[in-house]
Amino acid sequence: MLGRVPFARRTLFAERRRAALAVAGVAVALLLVFILDGIFAGAIQQVTAYIRTSRADAIVSQQSVRTMHMSSSALPPSDVERVRGVAQVAWVAPIRYATGIVVTPTDRQLAYVIGYQPGRRGGPRSLVEGREPRDGEAVIDRVAARGLDVPLGGRVQILGRPFRVAGFSSGTTSITNTIAFITYRDFGRLRGSAVSYVLVGGRPGTSPRALRDTLAAALPDSTVQTRDEFVVREASIVRDMSADTMQIMTFVALVIALAVIALLLFTTTLAHLRDYGIVKAIGGSPAQLARSVLVQALWAVALALGFAVVLALGVAGLINRFSDNIAIVIEPSSVARVAVGASVVAVIGALLPVWRIARLDPAAAFRSAL
Amino acid sequence: MSTEFALAVSKLTKTFGTGDLAVAAVRSVDLDVAAGEVVLIMGPSGSGKTTLLLMLGGMLRPTAGSITVAGTDLAVTPERRLPQLRAQHFGFVFQDFNLLSALDALENVELASNLAGVHGAPAHRRGTELLERMGLVHRLHHRPDQLSGGEKQRVAMARALANDPPVILADEPTANLDSGMGREVARVLRSLADDDQRAVVIVSHDARLRDIADRVLWLEDGTFRELDAMAHDPICGMAVETTLDHPHLERDGTLWYFCSTGCRDEYDARPVAESTAPAPG
Ligand SMILES: Nc1ncnc2c1ncn2[C@@H]1O[C@H](COP(=O)(O)OP(=O)(O)OP(=O)(O)O)[C@@H](O)[C@H]1O
Ligand SMILES: [Mg+2]
Repeated sequence: MLGRVPFARRTLFAERRRAALAVAGVAVALLLVFILDGIFAGAIQQVTAYIRTSRADAIVSQQSVRTMHMSSSALPPSDVERVRGVAQVAWVAPIRYATGIVVTPTDRQLAYVIGYQPGRRGGPRSLVEGREPRDGEAVIDRVAARGLDVPLGGRVQILGRPFRVAGFSSGTTSITNTIAFITYRDFGRLRGSAVSYVLVGGRPGTSPRALRDTLAAALPDSTVQTRDEFVVREASIVRDMSADTMQIMTFVALVIALAVIALLLFTTTLAHLRDYGIVKAIGGSPAQLARSVLVQALWAVALALGFAVVLALGVAGLINRFSDNIAIVIEPSSVARVAVGASVVAVIGALLPVWRIARLDPAAAFRSAL
Repeated sequence: MSTEFALAVSKLTKTFGTGDLAVAAVRSVDLDVAAGEVVLIMGPSGSGKTTLLLMLGGMLRPTAGSITVAGTDLAVTPERRLPQLRAQHFGFVFQDFNLLSALDALENVELASNLAGVHGAPAHRRGTELLERMGLVHRLHHRPDQLSGGEKQRVAMARALANDPPVILADEPTANLDSGMGREVARVLRSLADDDQRAVVIVSHDARLRDIADRVLWLEDGTFRELDAMAHDPICGMAVETTLDHPHLERDGTLWYFCSTGCRDEYDARPVAESTAPAPG
């Protein structure tokens, strides 16, 4: 408050060590929330990486199938020609897709298997070593290859058939799975001729939404989404799957923060009870004193939040640098949510001290023993 | 009628507890204090001095009677309005100074201005001026634990003046100070009446404060007694009723009264030549 003696702040920081410890405690609790949120956001980014980086303006899938994750889609091959026939379409990339396992003699890894036409779109975003697959060959993620201990040119089994590893891609492995690319033809031989999804690029000047609408009109028996819509759907599947766990962990972390704040405010208030009695005696109203405690709570939380954000960014930076398959993304929306949660925690933590001060008799300032 | 007085008290009574356990701490006290007047209330321990002062300052609800300050009767003012009245009409000086430990001297004074509704630069200026007046220019940013007792009490007096109150209430303001500091505090209290025309009510055992008082009242068992009939304990300086119920002894044809047998025994133990000299301050 401008132009007022900062009684709240002075009181809070009168015992620097106590305040610092408590702020650190709250910061660690909030850090926990940030890291959880960050891992979650990172996982979503990883899961949606293939579609996000596909450069498709629209994606066609089987009627009412809106994701790749946890779903399967089958389109008649004739749909590909119908898409090609739409005027605004610049390019078309049909892909075949299934959930499978990459198997070596000693290890295995869950994988999305994508069959695409080498030389066209729909393949790995970036090849870091080797080349695109020919029939009988596969491109797997470098991180997964390292984990499976497969060298370039090594052999793996995918969808129950042996493949030679022709190249390594990057950015497609998360903590739970990876992507393996094989040729469209091989995939068809193994799993039938159906097309799973059709990635579509629009001509310059065509908006994704307009393209989507035109395609939807041309393919009334299929589902068409813009890339952004597809990504949102994918993200929401992951979110729904882990929402409960996330909420419980976040709740626990906030309860810890609450305990620390409540303890700080209560011990600080008890230590300064006499001061509060004096302020009451010389004319401080209960509301003013309650505000003072609240201001202390918000100070503690604001400082802790600041520290937690800095720490979270630091931890995220380190993990992203040294870990291949865990990505931590600290999103502004996450900071905003934690700030709201922490403010609620601050208010709740202030209740007990406010109640204690409200009961304080101003006359006590005139009696020596308090 | 009460408007000409800064503080007008009528038939003020406080009874703690009920039935057999009831303690009548203050009984039907009348007291009018004019602006510019210093009233000293003395009395033995437990006589109701602090109780009276708490009621005068709107911190304790009387059982009966009225306390009129600036046209308002504190006895019937709703609880929630009392803090604001305290912040605006009273300056309090306490026995143990009661400075806020987390704030420095200037902030202690400024806070009182803030409570009275003055903020920012004006509060800062007033705080600085008041501490200058108390001779504490070099102590503005010292915290209470870095100040001596006398300095603390002067900061407390500056704080009591921060809201420019018509009435100053002081409970044992010199009790925790050595005699030099006590005299200094007494001088300042007197100047608050003379220079600022405030009404000053002091509650104390300290007989040295008699010198600065316009009136001295003796409170005993919750009521004022005639002080002319009082003698002074030559050891501690306290006023003592001249009844033979009190410890007393005769020396050189004079009858001396004491507040306690302790003081009497101390007096009795002194050599004669020394004992008739004024009690050491
Ligand atoms: N809250 C209370 N409840 C019950 N009795 C009380 C309360 N406060 C004071 N008393 C009683 O009222 C009487 C007057 O007390 P008070 O504190 O006013 O005396 P005092 O004159 O200030 O004494 P001292 O010189 O020791 O400070 C005492 O008997 C005391 O025990
Ligand atoms: Mg007392």
